[in-house]
Amino acid sequence: MDDFLFDRLDVDGALAESLARTGLSRAAFLGAALGSSTALLGWPIESADAAANSPATNDVFILNYALVLEYLQAAFYTEAERIGALRGKNARAAEVVGSVERAHVEAFRGVLGRKAVKRPTFDFQGTTENPKAFLKTAVAFEDLAVAAYKGQAPRIESKSALAAALAIHSVEARHAAWMRYLFGVDPAHAAFDQPQSRPEVTRVVRSTNFISGPPSTKADRSPRYMG
Amino acid sequence: MTEAASFGEEDIRALNLLLLVEYTQAAFYKEAVGRGALKGKLLAYAKQVAAQENEHLRFLKRLLKGEARRKPSYAFGEATREPGAFVAAAADVEDLAVGAYNGQGSNVSTDVLAGAATIVSVEARHAAWIRSIVGKLPAAEATDRALSSDEVLDGLSRLGVRR
Repeated sequence: MDDFLFDRLDVDGALAESLARTGLSRAAFLGAALGSSTALLGWPIESADAAANSPATNDVFILNYALVLEYLQAAFYTEAERIGALRGKNARAAEVVGSVERAHVEAFRGVLGRKAVKRPTFDFQGTTENPKAFLKTAVAFEDLAVAAYKGQAPRIESKSALAAALAIHSVEARHAAWMRYLFGVDPAHAAFDQPQSRPEVTRVVRSTNFISGPPSTKADRSPRYMG
Repeated sequence: MTEAASFGEEDIRALNLLLLVEYTQAAFYKEAVGRGALKGKLLAYAKQVAAQENEHLRFLKRLLKGEARRKPSYAFGEATREPGAFVAAAADVEDLAVGAYNGQGSNVSTDVLAGAATIVSVEARHAAWIRSIVGKLPAAEATDRALSSDEVLDGLSRLGVRR
């Protein structure tokens, strides 16, 4: 039960099923069709990776990667709150954590200015619609965010960007423990939290199909939530 | 991670500050468990966190080797004797640890940063966990503050650390 991440997360088999149904062809389609924000989560668009090689743009790249993860989290909690399937402590957690993740989005957008990637569209595959799926996904999101920030922190060059990333990293860990407590699993399951690389995080996020489209209003299907 | 011999002065200074924090936490939870005033969820929390703080302590001592500062002495008072005082002090010491690690994060070498980052998020989990147990808001702020060395030392003094 402990220490799961997205790759072991499945909501009543729905994610595995949709992945099997759409599989690589959908990923390949998205890889060809999507813009820069999804490139940050690993779709094979060369310009984004090439840009990362220049020291001056490396921090921008990392901050945009963090921004996409924050977009994902903010949209998840905001949608859960809007749908209203949560009660009591769960509803309160979604409300508080959602407002914090939205603040993180705004912080990164503020720092990045015109270099900020746009918000993709999301489809949370029903995980915002019942308490158990919500908590399970929230735990996975928060643990993943902790590992993702930890993976990037030593790569950040600017001191101010590093300070900002660290200030957010530990808040994500507080959220992780909070959601774990509500879900009934160990809030601090190991003495040391391990980092995850961008390719690892990307693989996990892609496996969920939560990112349903590019930052565009002309999606080929209606997302449940446009942020 | 590399060893103390290859660390600069700033790394050693930072690691020793964090070592002081870990000494304090390990001693605090050990004493709280030993005095027998905690029950149920609080006792389970204190036992597990004590073990994790000990692992952090060993990790830092192993890094610092001969450069490690000596163990401080403590007077935790009511905080290890009475559950309400324990909860308040545990939340304080965990927040202090988070602030200490975040504060040193920008000062240290990349190697030290990578190691410290595996610990700080666990301290943040503890901070949220203890609040969850007593029904307090586990994470109220959007960012965690980075504390200066002086702020960390002041905070430790308030908790009863006698350097």
